[in-house]
Amino acid sequence: MSLFLIAALPFLGAVFPALLIRAGRNASASAAGLTSFLAFVGLLLHAPAVFRGEVIQVGIDWLPALGLNANFFLDGLGFLFAAMILGIGLLVILYARFYLSREDPMGNFYTYLLLFQGAMVGIVLSDNILLLLVFWELTSLSSFLLIGYWKHLPEGRQGARMALAITGSGGLAMIGGMMILGNIVGSYDLSVILQNKDLIQASPLYLPALILILLGCFTKSAQFPFHFWLPHAMAAPTPVSAYLHSATMVKAGIFLMARLWPVLSGTPEWFYIVATTGLVTMLLGAVIALFKDDLKALLAFSTVSHLGLITMLLGFGTKIAAVTAVFHIINHATFKAALFMSAGIVDHEAHTRDIKRLGGLRHLMPVTATIAIVAALSMAGIPPFNGFLSKEMMLEETVHTLWAGSHYLVPGLALLAALFSAAYSFRFIGHVFLGQTRDDYPAKPHDPGFGMWAGPALLVSLVVLIGLFPAHLVGPLVAVAAGAVTGGADLPYYSLKLWHGLTPALYMSGVAVIGGLVLLKLHAPLIAAWNRAPRPEAKQIFDSAMRALTKLSQIITDGLHNGAITRYAFLMMVFIIGISYFAYSTGTMVPATREVQGVGPITVIAWFCLMVATLAVVAKHRQRQLSLVLIGVVGLVVSLGFNYLSAPDLALTQLSVEVVTMVLLLLALNFMPKDSPVEAPMWVRLRDGGIAVVGGLGAALLIYALMLRDFALPSISEFHLANSYKGGGGTNVVNVILVDFRGYDTFGEIIVLGIAALVIYALTEAVLGSRVRAYLLNRKPDMPQAGDAHPMMMVVATRVMMPLALMVAAYIFFRGHNLPGGGFIAGLIAAIALLMQYMASGFSWASERQRMFYHGTIGSGVLIAAATGLGSWFSGNPFLTSAFGYLHWPPLEEFEWATAALFDLGVFLAVVGAVLLALESLARFAWQPGISSEHAMDINPARDDAAEAAAAEGEA
Amino acid sequence: MTMGFLNIEFLVASAVGLLTAAGIYLILRRRTFPVILGLSLLTYGVNIFLFATGRLMVDAPPVLNKYAEVPYTDPLPQALVLTAIVISFGMTAVVVMIALAAYLSARDDKIDMPHHPEDEGEDA
Amino acid sequence: MNHFLIAPVVLPALVAPFIIMVVRYHLDLTRIFSLASTVMLVAISLVLATQAASGEVQVYELGNWSAPFGIVLVLDRLSAMMVLLTSVLALVVNLYVIGSGWDKRGANFHALFQFQLMGIIGAFLTGDAFNLFVFFEVLLIASYGLMIHSGGTRRFQAGVQYVVYNLLGSTLFLFALGTLYAVTGTLNMADLAVRVAEIPPEDTALLRVGAVMLLLVFAIKAAVIPLHFWLPASYANAPLPVAALFAIMTKVGAYAILRMYTLVFGPDLAITEGLAGAWLMPAALVTLMLGAIGILGSYRIGRLVAFGAITSMGTLLTAIALFSPEGVAAALYYTLHSTLAAAFLFLVADLVSERQGIEITAQRLMPQSGLIAVLFFTGAIALAGMPPLSGFLGKLLVLDAARDHDLVWWTWGVILVGSLVTILGMARAGSLLFWKSHSITAETDPTAPQPYEEEANEQEEETEDTSTAALPFVACFALLSGLILLTIFAGPASHYAEATAAQLFQPEIYIKAVLGKVTP
Repeated sequence: MSLFLIAALPFLGAVFPALLIRAGRNASASAAGLTSFLAFVGLLLHAPAVFRGEVIQVGIDWLPALGLNANFFLDGLGFLFAAMILGIGLLVILYARFYLSREDPMGNFYTYLLLFQGAMVGIVLSDNILLLLVFWELTSLSSFLLIGYWKHLPEGRQGARMALAITGSGGLAMIGGMMILGNIVGSYDLSVILQNKDLIQASPLYLPALILILLGCFTKSAQFPFHFWLPHAMAAPTPVSAYLHSATMVKAGIFLMARLWPVLSGTPEWFYIVATTGLVTMLLGAVIALFKDDLKALLAFSTVSHLGLITMLLGFGTKIAAVTAVFHIINHATFKAALFMSAGIVDHEAHTRDIKRLGGLRHLMPVTATIAIVAALSMAGIPPFNGFLSKEMMLEETVHTLWAGSHYLVPGLALLAALFSAAYSFRFIGHVFLGQTRDDYPAKPHDPGFGMWAGPALLVSLVVLIGLFPAHLVGPLVAVAAGAVTGGADLPYYSLKLWHGLTPALYMSGVAVIGGLVLLKLHAPLIAAWNRAPRPEAKQIFDSAMRALTKLSQIITDGLHNGAITRYAFLMMVFIIGISYFAYSTGTMVPATREVQGVGPITVIAWFCLMVATLAVVAKHRQRQLSLVLIGVVGLVVSLGFNYLSAPDLALTQLSVEVVTMVLLLLALNFMPKDSPVEAPMWVRLRDGGIAVVGGLGAALLIYALMLRDFALPSISEFHLANSYKGGGGTNVVNVILVDFRGYDTFGEIIVLGIAALVIYALTEAVLGSRVRAYLLNRKPDMPQAGDAHPMMMVVATRVMMPLALMVAAYIFFRGHNLPGGGFIAGLIAAIALLMQYMASGFSWASERQRMFYHGTIGSGVLIAAATGLGSWFSGNPFLTSAFGYLHWPPLEEFEWATAALFDLGVFLAVVGAVLLALESLARFAWQPGISSEHAMDINPARDDAAEAAAAEGEA
Repeated sequence: MTMGFLNIEFLVASAVGLLTAAGIYLILRRRTFPVILGLSLLTYGVNIFLFATGRLMVDAPPVLNKYAEVPYTDPLPQALVLTAIVISFGMTAVVVMIALAAYLSARDDKIDMPHHPEDEGEDA
Repeated sequence: MNHFLIAPVVLPALVAPFIIMVVRYHLDLTRIFSLASTVMLVAISLVLATQAASGEVQVYELGNWSAPFGIVLVLDRLSAMMVLLTSVLALVVNLYVIGSGWDKRGANFHALFQFQLMGIIGAFLTGDAFNLFVFFEVLLIASYGLMIHSGGTRRFQAGVQYVVYNLLGSTLFLFALGTLYAVTGTLNMADLAVRVAEIPPEDTALLRVGAVMLLLVFAIKAAVIPLHFWLPASYANAPLPVAALFAIMTKVGAYAILRMYTLVFGPDLAITEGLAGAWLMPAALVTLMLGAIGILGSYRIGRLVAFGAITSMGTLLTAIALFSPEGVAAALYYTLHSTLAAAFLFLVADLVSERQGIEITAQRLMPQSGLIAVLFFTGAIALAGMPPLSGFLGKLLVLDAARDHDLVWWTWGVILVGSLVTILGMARAGSLLFWKSHSITAETDPTAPQPYEEEANEQEEETEDTSTAALPFVACFALLSGLILLTIFAGPASHYAEATAAQLFQPEIYIKAVLGKVTP
């Protein structure tokens, strides 16, 4: 079976349990089981080749740009791990089927489990370190789901997040390390990297890469000081603990160290970092395990300790130590998984995992007891079980190891660790299964069904068999795996057998066993002392750290984004000004090339008005109506200025925009407070004033400098001047640019107006649809109202002016193409004319009398403009190509037409619609019952006569 | 008659500067209304700025004269400013209405949003 | 003359007014037309993408005036890619909005939606600097409308801030354009490129000011710290599906930076040397970190995703700030990813907040909790850049591209630590929302948003029309599958990105296409 398929099967199969759970728990479980069984068989098919020493490789390019390829390869090491993952996986799936209760969503469980399995298989088969990283992080994620499987338990949630935090951060560190490694070698393919030992170890980046990668491995394999997450991960269901936290995931780090052993090991850095960490972890884990009363906690720490042992062996850097490591990996997987499962059984049947409440179970659950005792003895390193063999070899190695020149340190500590591990193993046996049967178990313990103990039983039989016939049973496997680790078939001599003669290791084992028994006798006083002794509680530290981190982030986030746009804007100004000044100061300037032009007194006076009015706006901005008037003055002077500086179009536009804007603002102000209180403290106002002055100065200097210099190259507007008439059919170049050369801008401009209207309408709807409506209906005007809302004079005046204004609008519209004017200005003037009607006679009166629908107006404006643009398609020209010509009607003089005029019509309509729609919404805000009489101020004598006539009839 | 010590470029530049400064100052106020005033002033400022990038000329409107060779001022910036004016008109209308809506809904025209700090970060 | 170039701008510009004039009062018709138009946009942009893939740069001369005197649209690989991304995103969001009924909670939604698309696409296609401004305004004013859609006090207040902040940006844009015009005398981008190259080296100060102001304008859009302050409040208070559409708007800023600073102010141009590099990279890194911190520090789900958008912009700009072909290629791939991912998470956030409110706290189990939890989990993975989704690949690409940069260690450190903080934040939120809720029953629920019956009624409402009840999930899964495709076909995608980057670093192709002449 292709390696692709083997790696993919668990992922593909992960779908089914979740789906099949509807068909029952067995269907779900068997789907999961079948999947991993298929993968397992597929793997075994490769066994012959692997044992022949071949390496199976497959690969396809995934992300060649990065060198991330979906390459897989299978060698001894990969085979060993894949076999463990899939094999033990099968047993766990079987076990879990009976372990999980009816309430637990089993479908999800198996789905997560298979996802995890796939990720693990991916790790051990990857031939590309980036691909390996992908699977690596996947194991973190899937184990997050598995640990938090019992969502309602806080321990589960917190344990899951702790595991994710630790292994996740390790994984990220490892990304860095792997990238460095890849950059040193120039390839991310393992098979390439493994060929470049010298290159890597010579590189100055060797140490950083090593440290970062080891961070990943240590966190994953729960090495000191990252060991603390593992015990808390035990909140997971026991099958998970048995699978992830004894046999597979925690071994991923070990696997990676073994995988990279050929290129990373053999240096003092490697030895001192890895071996020391392993040694410390081994000892620490063993000691703590002895004092844990929770079965799973005891096993968890013993796992930590054994992982430390393997790490230390790999750290030694000698080939024989590597062989021992591989051998112990196998042994540990077998007995530890069995132990977890039997602990789970005890928990499941006795409803407690607390050692203090257990004991004497061997009478009540003989099968489980046998299984557990054998496995525990193997863990303690008692012959003839497999644990003994690898521990012997380990001790043997420590004897030959120098640490900082000391012969005794490593073996001494190793012996101590072995001693403690013997002790806790004995305690596991003694305090749970031996001793008197008690009558206060939370539940009546008894052996579970075959399905549940089949798995551990199988594993334990392996424990025994490997112990008795190591060479025949696992000899070849160890050979190929170790060969893969050490990167060569030339392994040193070693023999896997029980009796090596009277070696120092044997004596040490003896000491360990006896010492272990002694410790068990002294357990009661010891644990009392232990509990009295103060020691750092990893979880509290971690939790408080996390809480602090979260709190800190909240403080930073809320502190920075506190909703004060005044501060946001201030920062923005400072930043913009600063960066702009930086850009200026790092450039150079040439002296001015243009002459300044003199001015007459009138101009200066106008300028003076502008300055004063502007300052007055600032000074009086708290009195809102006054400041509006002042700003009106500013706008007026600006438009005069435009006119003076030969921009009549601008002047007209500015003027009309000014009027409409003022009206809008005034009407809006009608609803708002009429003055702003003093809020900002003086220093803030000074600060703002400061930045304002700097900004203004910058703008002034910039434009002054620009005005005194010519274009570096002739402006494109020369072309516009030259072609406006022949190409655009208009003499008012500005207008021709607007509707022709840059008609597309104007098109966008129309759209903007249209959108503005839509926004305003939608907003009004939203406001009036909310509770605000009630407030508006009942609000009392905060200012004295005019006695006569619609003074006669004004009414009459506006009625008279209406047609005039509309004519002016039409005139300005049509002359636009050749003289200052155009659709926009015309639109504004028309809008103003209508505005006057509204103001004079009241909104309801006016709206009754105009059959115009604003949405329609705006829409047609946009559509006409767009249609005009599209029209040119039919003459095979691009969008917005204008056409024009001259008509000659005899009595009239020459008359010009231009499609651009249609375009201008679009502008006109959009403007009118937008302004009136805005006005309408303001009027709707203002509407209150009773303010609109049937015919407000409509001067119509006829009606009065009618009334009188009616009255007269009444009399008659 | 001209006033020698002053020149049109200076007048325009100083006007741009003052309008911009006033605009910035008002934008940093704490109520929506002054901020809108500030935006309008800023718009004047930037419009004049944009206009002036065509360099200044007196009595040379960019309207073609069929009968005589006369100087024309740069029409392009004028066109740009027209577009800018129209757009900013639309923008002003919208911001006024949104500000009004915000005021009517909150019965308060502070522009800074009320910020309520987190009730103790819950632990998962 | 290939009218396909203008089609994606004109189509929505015709559909929107049609909607408001003709079918304004018929919700179903409105939806049909809006949806149809969006589908056609996708089709058109597919055509454009295939045309651009050939590597040829197409030019559309509006009003038949040749550049630089008229306005031209330019289609190259970059703009084609962005247009396609926009229309695809728009289609999904449109589906979601229709399914969730957001569009009937206020007036004129679909018209504004179409105008919004027109603005965004127009900005991507235009080859004229001032026209870029115009379309920025179009997309902005439409976004104002969408942001305050359906009203509400906080939404209006946030709306005011959003508008004001962006109006400041627009003003700065005009200052920048004025300066550039006053110096170079042109507005067409290609022509700018030619002329900027000819500027005498002793007269650079004013041009540099203009160039950097332009960069700052785009930095505001791209939410670069300290110009990002507009984003969290407005995205968090906007209707979340709208925020999902806005995921593309920050990209407009990134696009503009990319365009201007490869075409006009190229990285190896002496005159504008050091303008971007000096501060953009550090700012981008801070953005990344602050966004991640914001994710961990958020207690409202909309805000959380908003900061997610910020942190992904940080990553994206980090890649851009490298100003190397590798960096740009990575940035482009990451753009595709982060847009889909952010939008995806915004939609999921809406699913959550529609059911149990905006606070990230453990509450009574919401309906469809399991499915939504899965979606949130995948979305979080995507945004945090964890495997197996495309975010991880994008992140690796960025890391790899930064290899030779001076700040390589800073870059790697910040990106990796940022990812960690993001993961922690996401894990916290997810476990509060979806796990802890299991330990809360109706009785013990401290913060019941609404009494039972009400919710029951809501359920009926939601389920009464089954055809649309499923739509939101369809939309979410569409985005998810987009991410998955982006992962599986990372090879081809990154290849297109590389080709695009290569095209960007040969501005002469662009210039020749537009002006018909090559830079001296």
